Amino acid sequence: MIELKNVKKSYGKRVIIDDLSLVIKKGSVFGFLGQNGAGKTTTIKMMVGIAAPDRGEILIGGENSQNVDTRENIGFMPEAPYFYDRLTGLEFVKFCGNLFKKHKSEKEYADILGETGIYEARNIPINKYSKGMKQRLGFAQVMVNDPDCIFLDEPLDGLDPLGRREIKKIILGLKARNKTVFFNSHILYDTEEICDEIGIIHGGKLLYSGGVKGFCKGESLEKKFVETVEAREK
Amino acid sequence: MKNIIVIARNAFRETIRDRILYGILGFSLLYVAFTSLLAKISLNELVILKSFGLAGIYIFGSLVTIFLGSSIIYKEIERRTLYFVLSKPVSRLDVVVGKFFGLFLAVSLVIVVMALVYIGVIFLNGGGFDELGLLAVFYQILEAGIFVALLVFFSTIVTPLTSAIGAAMVLFAGHSMQSILHTAAQIGGPFYGFIQAVYYIFPNLDKFNIRNLVVHGISVPDVSIFYTIAYAVLYSCALIYLANVFLKLKEL
Repeated sequence: MIELKNVKKSYGKRVIIDDLSLVIKKGSVFGFLGQNGAGKTTTIKMMVGIAAPDRGEILIGGENSQNVDTRENIGFMPEAPYFYDRLTGLEFVKFCGNLFKKHKSEKEYADILGETGIYEARNIPINKYSKGMKQRLGFAQVMVNDPDCIFLDEPLDGLDPLGRREIKKIILGLKARNKTVFFNSHILYDTEEICDEIGIIHGGKLLYSGGVKGFCKGESLEKKFVETVEAREK
Repeated sequence: MKNIIVIARNAFRETIRDRILYGILGFSLLYVAFTSLLAKISLNELVILKSFGLAGIYIFGSLVTIFLGSSIIYKEIERRTLYFVLSKPVSRLDVVVGKFFGLFLAVSLVIVVMALVYIGVIFLNGGGFDELGLLAVFYQILEAGIFVALLVFFSTIVTPLTSAIGAAMVLFAGHSMQSILHTAAQIGGPFYGFIQAVYYIFPNLDKFNIRNLVVHGISVPDVSIFYTIAYAVLYSCALIYLANVFLKLKEL
């Protein structure tokens, strides 16, 4: 389970996240939705320990996200990730895997690349990868430690329909393995299909958290999202 | 400790695959080999050969360090590759120390390759095995340690261009401070106090310059070697500590 308790974060005088509380159930897929600049990335960075909240706390499996050891059990893919371009795909996942206590064999790393569909390109330098392949490599490094909680920042952003379908398939595969998946997105159409629950954030404040159906009430997610955000702005 | 080794190995691998490195290394090897021709022009004068050879290793070694080190942390922040690392059970200190060792190893390797060509050139020109030349190279590697730590420190706070300019200025000041201090002592007054303060803040890189002694065959006392190693280690540690402090303060 993931818990955010009264989290606040400011950059200078600008409040980015204001008193955010959330609970994400184990084994669920949670979509964290909001416009650009709503505070989604800041939230996810605090959850994975890259940034620290000014106030409140974030618990992952009961452990504070700021503890280095908590990260043994999480996986994170940043938005539009850049990689160490001069490494090959296999070298990169091995590098990521070696940062955890549990080590995997070369075959296991190759299997992870196989699961994400880039096994054939494992010995090619990353600077030769397409955007879709890089996104898959981002997923591969998420899985090197077989984490219980997975955090994805805009995983569907910039991908073509086929690429998005592949990524959705991977997310649903993770869910089938009882992983908790938390992802940020502003692409609402795809989100509706894969999420158990959603959270809507606007201007650093949480506007809604709960089931997708309970939020949509028979209408499209996009329509309800726009209505909710506009109502808040008024 | 394990994470430092993993990050250092990765930084080393990334660095030695950088094309800039091979460009500079190619030029430097040509230059060191070219000093052989200089020796012939100067009637096989070994002092000239050693002097130009060791100076070349120093200049090209410093250039490689600046090119490879000026963006070492900065580009990780800008390109967000640091997100991959810091979302794993890795501290910011692991990153700074790992990056330092990775770059230091790569720079040391480049210096050693140049030194091997230099030793070969001296040997072929009848100078025998120049073990004192190797000592000068060892001192240069110690200086490179401070220089790499300085670049790691700069790259946590400023852009690569500013970092390169700052490092070049510190390199110049570090080699000039002793003579500036000497001149200031003759002038005296508050100016001398100010220069003294600056002298103790900047690294005294002249400590690592034994090239003039080496080319004239003058050996260096063992105690001096010990103090120089201790100075390099302590100064590098101080810079790495500061780099870690600044990286911790940075909102990523």
